[in-house]
Order: sequence, then structure tokens, then C-alpha cells
Amino acid sequence: MSDAGSAAVRASGLVKGYGTGERRVEVLRGLDLEVARGEMLAVVGPSGVGKSTLLHLLGLLDRPDRGELALLGTDVTGLSVEERAAWRNRRIGFVFQFHALLPEFTLEENVAMPLLIGGTGRREALAAARELLTAVDLDERREHFPDQLSGGEQQRGAVARALVAGPDLLLADEPTGNLDADNAAAVFERIARLHLSRGLTSVIVTHNEALASRCDRIVRLVRAAADTACSRT
Amino acid sequence: MRLLRLLAGRYLLGLRRRTHVAAVSAVSFSAMALGAATLVLTLALLEGFQATIRRQLAESGVHALLRPRSGRTLPTGDWLERLRAAHPDLEIQASSGGAVWCLAELGALPADLVVVDTLSHVEVNRVLAHRLAVVPGSTLQLASPRLRLTPLGPLPSRRRLEVGAVVANRPGDDRAVVRVPRAVGAQLLGEQAPQAVELRAADPARAFDVASLVQANLPEGVEVVSFRDLNRPLLAALALERIMIGLGVALVMVVAALNLLCNLTLLAAEKRFDVALLSALGLRPADVSRLFVTLGLGVGALGGVLGAVAGSGLAVLLDRTRALPLPRGVFVVSHVPFRVTAAALAVVLAVSLGSALLASLAPARAAARRDILEGLRYE
Repeated sequence: MSDAGSAAVRASGLVKGYGTGERRVEVLRGLDLEVARGEMLAVVGPSGVGKSTLLHLLGLLDRPDRGELALLGTDVTGLSVEERAAWRNRRIGFVFQFHALLPEFTLEENVAMPLLIGGTGRREALAAARELLTAVDLDERREHFPDQLSGGEQQRGAVARALVAGPDLLLADEPTGNLDADNAAAVFERIARLHLSRGLTSVIVTHNEALASRCDRIVRLVRAAADTACSRT
Repeated sequence: MRLLRLLAGRYLLGLRRRTHVAAVSAVSFSAMALGAATLVLTLALLEGFQATIRRQLAESGVHALLRPRSGRTLPTGDWLERLRAAHPDLEIQASSGGAVWCLAELGALPADLVVVDTLSHVEVNRVLAHRLAVVPGSTLQLASPRLRLTPLGPLPSRRRLEVGAVVANRPGDDRAVVRVPRAVGAQLLGEQAPQAVELRAADPARAFDVASLVQANLPEGVEVVSFRDLNRPLLAALALERIMIGLGVALVMVVAALNLLCNLTLLAAEKRFDVALLSALGLRPADVSRLFVTLGLGVGALGGVLGAVAGSGLAVLLDRTRALPLPRGVFVVSHVPFRVTAAALAVVLAVSLGSALLASLAPARAAARRDILEGLRYE
């Protein structure tokens, strides 16, 4: 297991539920998790067990009801809305299951979007986007709009967008869940390659056990709790 | 912020991909443009008529009046001559007056007698001319209350005079007035010191400036009444008319703004996922709010400018081509006048932007407050 001091992710006693009163459903009950810097972690488990919820908490898209969360050595539990936005922009890259590209923008502009949001100049942002698009073999498709791209191309574009701002932490929520086997393998291959080349810490939620097995470690979530029952390097 | 302009521009221009939102956006834009055009046209119409009235007022009326601060007559001395010398471009008429009876073939009528020092002939105003059926060249007999002794006893002073000109009444003035030279006045009323001095500029457009021009040349005991003060009730009524009609027509802009509000609310719902995605990528809630305000202001500014240009163009066209004639003899002008002013255009653009800003605040606030995950699940 990782050294706590060098952990990229350290969650302790995370509780997250939805609804109130009798209708309240607690998805995470006191989850503890550590991910070492540079580690590629796969999170697996049945549907509804809280994989995406965990990823949303790690990605600062949601707040835990209780518990503490530290990312890259910083306690992020009490960050303000503005600070969380800045973290999402610069320190965290997120890949969603559904390619999630903006339809009014070209692939190149979509990839450059985090940099544009962060205040980088358009020319510089597009140059960085082109570099990432080359890394995911989409350089020739950069002027295309999302509806002119295949599912696999869109997802590779989404991976490029997640990494364009140079984040330390890559979070992917079933990045291959919407793709056929060949495209899924291709997308995962690029994620793995960029993970290594950029020294990322990656947390990948997936149902695909074969792809999960290629990660450094697997965390398997079971009902109402997190259990690191299965791990391997 | 450059990104917000990029997003807003792309959403406005890229809406062709979502035809129903594009249609509603086009309606919003058209409504703003139509509202702005209507407002410009209405203000141009009002200004056209009011400018005509002001011009008539300036052409027929006094541009400034000098009167004694106390008592009935102005101070004596050569200040009037010095005033004339200092302002040769002004027509300066000293006057005194009283009441007389005017007798003509049709009958007799009491009238105000105005003795003017610079006048060389007799003038009657249109009221008097109409009631006594006199025209230039007619003979008119004036009888004053000043008595003279005759073998038959004291009788009113009388003068038989030829009417030299019929002049227009000042707007709103329905008194019968006869204006005579100083010599005639002295015979009818005796020698009188001037009671007032009327000032007129050769160019009626300078009517509002005459009072301030002569202010420094006046002696103690003389006060100047400006053109604005002389016509205050009428000018105030015109200003009130412009404000009230302008406000009434500005309600069109409110309707257009409500339409814009609906459009932005629809757009915020339509772009729910996109906004959530942008937020997930780090766009701050304040920037989300600014994005929708920018969208609203974009529609407001574009619609306002387009409407203002279209309204101005139409107003100029209608005025120059005299496309809307008016019955002769009923109105002082032959056609409906339109006059576009920079102030009116500024007001219309301000109303367009203001209403667009107000309309965009609620959708902007709602979009900024929306939960990111809720938006991401929307897709």
C-alpha cells in the first residue's frame, strides 16, 4: 500500500447519501481509500454501489456528507465553490462515460476548453490542444465538430481534453463503457500510455474486468462500504 | 471575458443545430429589434411635431422679455440704446400699452393696445382681424379711455388708421391685439415710459439663447424673462407628452424583454448539460451567470442596434418623402414630420440593453445555481 505522506488521494470515513428521512439511501458509508502518487487504480463493483459517486467526490463535483478528503496533500473538504472550480480546472482531469463534447465547438476547441476557462490565450490553448490531439492520433480530425466524429474518436478527444491543462490527477468514469471492444481497447491503451508519460495518478471506474486488470491496483466496492478486497500490482 | 464572448457568440450563432431554440431566439431578437424600431419611430414622430411647434413658437413669439423688477415702467436712461448697439443682430422693441376699443364696419371690439417704438405701421393680430373682418389696407378706428375736451364735452381720444399688417398670434394667446407706432400711441394714451422690451433673434433657432446673451447688458431694476420661462407651460406640456408617450411605447420593450427571458430560460434548460460540463471543467458559477447575461445583452444590443437603425431609416424616409400628408388648413405642417435625434437613439439603446440585462438576470442566476451532477445526468 502507499505511503500516506505521498498519497495523491486520501479519503477517510467518506459518507455520501441521497434523499432524506426514510427515503434516504446511503451510497458510501465510511469509505477509506488511498491512492499513491503515480498509481493507476481501477475501481470496480456492481451498478449502484457508489463507484461514480466516489469519483464525483474525488473530482470535487460533489461534497461528502461526512468524512475527510485530501488530494495531492491538500485537504479539499472545506474548499469554497470557487476554489473547487479552480482545482477541477488545473489539478484534475475528468473523462466521462458519454464523450461529453460541446456540439458547437470543434474538437480542437473542445480540447482547449479547460485552458480557455483557466484564462490561457486562445492561440496558446489551441496549440496545446493540437499537441494532445496528436498524442491520441486525432490531429487530422481537429477541425471536425463532435457530430462528425465516431464514438471512439470523441472519447479519445475527451481524454485529450482531460489532460490538456496538465492535471496531476486523472479520473475516468467508465471511459470505455460506451464503446465496442476495439475502441475500448484503443482508448484504454492511450489512457495508460499518457498515464505513464505524464506521471499521472489515475482512478478509473470500470465494469470491464479485463481492462481493470491492466491497472496497478483494483479496488472493489461492495454494497454500502468500500472494501479493498482485491488488489494487485 | 474572452471565453464568455466566444461561448455566447457560438451559442447564438450555432443554434441552427437546435432548431426550436434557434426559432425562439430569432423571435426574441426580432421582438427586441421591433420594439427598438417602434420606440425610435415614436420618439422621432413626437420630436418631429414638437420641433415644429417649438419652431412656430420661436418664429412668431418673443425670444426674451425685459420687464421692470418693480413698478409698471422700465428705468429711464440710455441703456436701451446701448443694448441695441451691443446686439445689432437682435430685434429690440420697447413697448407700452393699454386698453382700446377697435371699431370697424362689422362692429366694435375691446383690444389690447401695444405701443411699439420701432413700429412704422399698424398691426393687428389674427384674432382681431378675424372678428372685425379687417385685412391689410382696411380702415380701423381706435378709441382710448383717455378723454379730450371738445365743444360737445369730454370725448374719448380717437384715431382712424389704416391696417398695415395682420400678424400671427402667439400659440395659446387668444387676445385681440393691435400694435401701433409710438406717435399713434402717444395720441391715444399719452406719452408713456416703456413697460417692457421684446427681444427677437434673426435666427429663431437661437430663441433659447437670447436671454443669456443680453443678461450682462441690463441695468439694475430690469429683469429678463427667457424664452423657456415665457413658454414654460407649453414646453413643460411638450416634455411631459414626450416622456409619457415614450414610457408607454417603451412597454413594447418590456414585452420583448419578457420574451427574451423565456428564451434564455429555454436556452439554460437546453444547455444544461453543456453548462454542467463547463462547470466540471472549472468554469466558476459567477462565470456561468455572466455567460447568460452576455447572451441576453448580446440579443439586446444586436436587436436594439438593428431596430434603432431600421427605425431611424424608416423615420428619415417617411420625413423626406413626405409619405404621410396632413389636411391643409388643419395642421401647421403639410405632412407628418419625423426627426431622429442622437438623444432618442441613446435612450432606445439604453432601454434595449437595460431590459435585456433585467431579462437575463433570473435565467443567469438559475443556471449558475444548478447542480453540476444534475446537469451532467441530464444528457
